[in-house]
Amino acid sequence: MSLIDFFIDPVLRGPTWGTLFMCIASGLIGSVLLLRKKTLLAESLSHAAYPGVILGVSLFALAFPAHEEWAFVSVLAGASFSAFLALKGIEWLMRRKVSPDAALCFILAVFFGAGIVAASSMQSQLPSWHQKTQMLLFGQAATMTGIHVALYGGLALSIALFFLLMYRPLQSVLFDRDFSSLLGLNVKWLERLIFCLLLASLIVGIRSVGVILMSGMIIAPAVAARQFTHHLHRMFFLASFFGALSGLLGNFLSIWGSMYLSTETERMTLPTGPSIVLVGSCFAFLSLLFAPQRGLVSRLFRIGAFRLRRLEENILKYFWKKGTLSRKILHETLHVPMWALFLVLRRLKKQGWIEGAYSLTPDGMKRAASIVRLHRLWELYLTEQLKLETGKVHKTAEEMEHILTPDLEERLTHLLGAPTQDPHQQPIPEKSRFP
Amino acid sequence: MKAWEVEDLHVNYGKKQVLWDVSFSVPPGVMVAIVGPNGAGKSTLLKTALGLVEPLSGKIDLLGQPVKKVKQKIAYVPQRESVDWDFPITALELILMGRYGRLGLLGRLRQADREAALRSLELVGMGDFAHTQIGQLSGGQQQRLFIARALVQGGSLFFLDEPFAGVDLATEKSIVSLLQAQKEEGKTIFSVHHDLPTVEEYFDWVILLNTRLIACGPVKQVFTAENLALTFGKSQELFDEAASLSAKSISGIV
Repeated sequence: MSLIDFFIDPVLRGPTWGTLFMCIASGLIGSVLLLRKKTLLAESLSHAAYPGVILGVSLFALAFPAHEEWAFVSVLAGASFSAFLALKGIEWLMRRKVSPDAALCFILAVFFGAGIVAASSMQSQLPSWHQKTQMLLFGQAATMTGIHVALYGGLALSIALFFLLMYRPLQSVLFDRDFSSLLGLNVKWLERLIFCLLLASLIVGIRSVGVILMSGMIIAPAVAARQFTHHLHRMFFLASFFGALSGLLGNFLSIWGSMYLSTETERMTLPTGPSIVLVGSCFAFLSLLFAPQRGLVSRLFRIGAFRLRRLEENILKYFWKKGTLSRKILHETLHVPMWALFLVLRRLKKQGWIEGAYSLTPDGMKRAASIVRLHRLWELYLTEQLKLETGKVHKTAEEMEHILTPDLEERLTHLLGAPTQDPHQQPIPEKSRFP
Repeated sequence: MKAWEVEDLHVNYGKKQVLWDVSFSVPPGVMVAIVGPNGAGKSTLLKTALGLVEPLSGKIDLLGQPVKKVKQKIAYVPQRESVDWDFPITALELILMGRYGRLGLLGRLRQADREAALRSLELVGMGDFAHTQIGQLSGGQQQRLFIARALVQGGSLFFLDEPFAGVDLATEKSIVSLLQAQKEEGKTIFSVHHDLPTVEEYFDWVILLNTRLIACGPVKQVFTAENLALTFGKSQELFDEAASLSAKSISGIV
């Protein structure tokens, strides 16, 4: 079985294309929810769709017991109806000054609870139909056919088209709602349209991922995409990309995993829906960790780089004050482990700031003097301009000497009138005019 | 024709009275400070004028017409904290939003819109930051962006909600001179203002507000110690207490 088979094989292509489109749609809609800080809405509404599904299918079973192939219409109608009701309930509670997350959770619990109760009474009355609704809890992608693919493809296409045509108004409404309505943009109409698209993607998503995990598929691609860019259009693009990728890889995972786990005597299946959500969540998690600008790892790396520079500058400053120093004395004054000092000193030597068994090179002298200069300028600024006590300024100057930029230095010099002495009557080194 | 005319305006949030029987009118071509203590309804007055908050009763006209008909003539600077500055857009994109009203839902940006946005960015001294993500800017720079966005809207009425909150002095001065230049061109500027000592320096008209209207008129006539005492003084407390008691009785809490 090759990769191409997933797209063309009569059995496999349904789930592959179906989940691919579904995930693109939910990734795009999810970006909107994420930027509006309303991600919990997806969670509440997808759970709230469940009682509607049970009710719809039950009514359908009583009215047309022989037309099982049309039952999906009752699923769609029931789900839309109860999700819409849930939204109205949430809005009503929020108007009553119930806090948004309480309202969302309350509605989720009430609706989902009602759904479970209805489902268990259905189990005894309509056992064969009950089975159909149970699969909607965690979805069942494997049985998707051409009609599903067409439906999901249509939905993904209309959402993508909507984002393309309405990109600017959408951007404006997401960023600043009041301002947009004052511009004369039809904010209410736009929001209703977004809600309808959200509802549509939730309900069709239920078929493949299930009511319980659907919100994960809405949020995960958007969270992943947000970590990589400062541009809205790129975020939309990346969210649909991550969505599509999760859909595909989730499918592979489920099918390969099932084959790998099954033995000759026992058949195991990895369900598709949860696999997709798992892959999507992995993308989100890895992005949070490793994204170049916003990722946790790169931030830790930047913090580490700053600490290293601070240590180096402190060492240079000590050399400037004391002349020649051994590693042992540095260890005792700076409380830095010997091995770390060894590495830092070797680095400083390599970069040409120190030489021999540790004294400053002429270049090192200049760099150290400029650090001392920033330290003393800052102390003078605090005592003279902000009227702080002389005894209390050393500590913050220890920090600021590593922070102040050349621009700030120039402004400080100008403000203080090119001073020559700090508040402790120590000379302030002049700014060196030559490299 | 008056720039802004308010008659018998009442605004409630739930059962709480925010504005109570407010009536005033302001002529065009002046720079107006809206002054009052916290919770006096200053922002609400602004938002009601702009149609963002529904009044309980009363009538508001801008340039002699209801706000719906003059939206294109209004420039608005909301409070800086009212938006998420982590939002993924650049400074230039933010300013371009000032032109979206003219585009409608499906219109495309024109070359002229882009150049106007760039000019306006230069005007507020932010020319170098066109492609910077807005979250990386300082508070003062963010406020300048909001001013630039209002400028490309090209309105003849400016409504600003605390434009100097959390802004450095240099930015404050440059915003004031930009606004005064707009005033010289005959535009009318309304600004919620917190800093009493600068009212006389920056503005030529003042609205003193504390749920009720205390006074409205030229700074020289109206900005008096007596009126300020009425606006910020203790005599207001009794009124507030009675009003809150009334709200509680109506909603059945007491």
